[in-house]
Amino acid sequence: MAKKTSPALVSIEKDDRGVTCISMHDAAGKNVFSEEFAAQLIAALDELSVRQTPSVVVLKGLPEVFAGGGDKKALVGLAEGNVTTQDLVISEKLVAAPFVAVAAMEGHAVGGGLMIACASDIVLAAEESRYGAVFMSMGFTPGMGCTTLLSELVGPFIANEMMYTAKRFKGRELVGRGTNVNYILPRARVLPKAVDIALQIAEKNPKAVRLLKRALAARKKKLLIDARLQEDLMHELSFSFPETKAIIKEFYVE
Amino acid sequence: MTKQEVIDVIKKNIVENLDDIKAEDIDPMKSMADYGANSLDIIEVVSCTMRELNIKIPRAELADIKNIDQLADRFVQNMNQSPQA
Repeated sequence: MAKKTSPALVSIEKDDRGVTCISMHDAAGKNVFSEEFAAQLIAALDELSVRQTPSVVVLKGLPEVFAGGGDKKALVGLAEGNVTTQDLVISEKLVAAPFVAVAAMEGHAVGGGLMIACASDIVLAAEESRYGAVFMSMGFTPGMGCTTLLSELVGPFIANEMMYTAKRFKGRELVGRGTNVNYILPRARVLPKAVDIALQIAEKNPKAVRLLKRALAARKKKLLIDARLQEDLMHELSFSFPETKAIIKEFYVE
Repeated sequence: MTKQEVIDVIKKNIVENLDDIKAEDIDPMKSMADYGANSLDIIEVVSCTMRELNIKIPRAELADIKNIDQLADRFVQNMNQSPQA
């Protein structure tokens, strides 16, 4: 499937200090997981896992939006029972990646977008941006590993609150609530801090970094398998509720 | 509840959801975006306020609202339509 004319929505970049970044920059689509966006993100993860193999990668989005999760068309399609999405593959690829993933969430991350952070190894958020597991506001249950991985990032009770209420928490609100987010900083400081962490990892022996990553990721891989067991079933059920399509149409935030 | 009281509830929620802003500095003739609110901030302010006022208005019906004053008018109109328990 040659898609040479598709604009680049996700790119692999090197910053001026040589740190490898996956840059998600679909400004028009606000980094939601359209089919093309998801395909390009998966391609970038494959490229860095199989070919270039850096020991650490910074994931960054747009200043306003880190990543938005499933796109409306795909979600309505799921509710109509006639599409499948690649979204689930994104968390699997990230958890299985041989590199250390540093999620630099300068902008908002909601739904599947937040799951990119949950599937990463080190996570930075911005005080000004909002973070939410918004699945339930659209009438269906959380996915992409949310039911086991979100509690790893923010703690089980905050994760419960995020999933049940679907509230988009401001980064500033999460400060002092005992989450496991590594840093919650003013937006302008998020990317520089992420690059600084990446530089510290990059100077370690890459072979040793990859070994450690494989060991530390094992637990997360198991958690993701556990999540899939329950989330796939819940999705089959909740996307087939007759009311779900209408709820998505009303409450999806463009 | 008077319109001014509704405006005060909106202002309180703006202060809670935006950074570095005081209620007395908010001009209802301006939009929340003028005070640095992004789209998700606005959704949060509106949904918090509706919960507090015990009203529900579909989001599509609020799409054309230009400023805080118009939002308050719409909320007051809804409260008058459906008297609170």
